[in-house]
Amino acid sequence: MHGMSAPNRGRWRRRVPAALLALSLLVAACGESGPYIPAGLVRTPYPEVGHLALPESTNGGADFNFRAQPGELLLLYFGYTGCPDICPTTLADLRAALRQIGDRAERVEVAFVTIDPDRDADSVMTAYIHAFFAEGHGLRTDDPDLLATVSAPLGVNYSVSANPDGYIEVVHSAWVYVIDEQGRLLLMWPFGTEPEDIAEDLKHLFKDLDADA
Amino acid sequence: MPDATARLSGALAVLVLAAAACGGASGPLAVTDVWSRASAAGQETGVVYFEISGGASSDALLGVTVPRAIAAGAALHETVAADATGTTMAGHDMGDMGDGMTMQAVSRVPIGAGATVVFEPGGYHVMLLGLVEPLVAGASFEVTLTFESAGEIVVVAEVRE
Ligand SMILES: [Cu+2]
Repeated sequence: MHGMSAPNRGRWRRRVPAALLALSLLVAACGESGPYIPAGLVRTPYPEVGHLALPESTNGGADFNFRAQPGELLLLYFGYTGCPDICPTTLADLRAALRQIGDRAERVEVAFVTIDPDRDADSVMTAYIHAFFAEGHGLRTDDPDLLATVSAPLGVNYSVSANPDGYIEVVHSAWVYVIDEQGRLLLMWPFGTEPEDIAEDLKHLFKDLDADA
Repeated sequence: MPDATARLSGALAVLVLAAAACGGASGPLAVTDVWSRASAAGQETGVVYFEISGGASSDALLGVTVPRAIAAGAALHETVAADATGTTMAGHDMGDMGDGMTMQAVSRVPIGAGATVVFEPGGYHVMLLGLVEPLVAGASFEVTLTFESAGEIVVVAEVRE
């Protein structure tokens, strides 16, 4: 249950997929040939986010678009480096998932957006994302309006507020967004999705991607 | 009279020993699977997770410390659902999109007799504040947990990837 690379995320696992579970039971009842039910949430129509971009800390501040390279998938996450629980757990789960999909992992890029730019300098962002993914992208803007503009279409919520005693409380939604080369948001995983389920979803996304190519 | 008392307490002691031998639920409080996540250069915070098995009577975890060489401070925290204005929403259905999560300090974690309380990602965790140096996978450090009844228990956290 509490293994080294895939610790249990008990409470979130229980709450989120209840509806999905019900769906898959229904499908299972109808026979083996049901459609694949992803662990992630699919929004229809796919939100279009490819026109959005943020400066990339890991690339001298050049614009990084929310769109995958041709034939690849982009995994986008919003967090902050001072987040010791949810954010590193999510990134470690993604890393574990990518280790389960073989060569296809080379066609997946991971980008981490900070929602706490005041405390996350470019150098911190770079060290943080590279600790998980050698080729990972750290995205950061000083412009609160720009951050809000790129967050809205994805449905990212966040707030950073200082309490009277000086403690800075950060609240943020914790989904991982999967985006294709057209900038379509194909799928989103809630916090606590198991690496095995992420890997399975990625395999199916690549199957569709390669069939279309 | 003293004889009877002595005999009675002797019998009680045998009973207690017998109960203790019957299984984990009646053993002493124990803390196992203690681990910490490796951190990146410049990262200010860290985390420690573990599992607590309650003893024969109920207890509570009240506090935590780590050596100064590891972090400036440590605190008991819990990750909870919240909306983006910072107000926590207990029992909120996580199925809605755009939900938020945040951490809050916890002053007391009850440990029921024979109960298991897990500190794990997305739930209770020990928050390390002001990391002195990055935590490197394979290293280890001491964590002192203070319980209401059991007192101080020192365990060793293993840093994992
Ligand atoms: Cu915390």
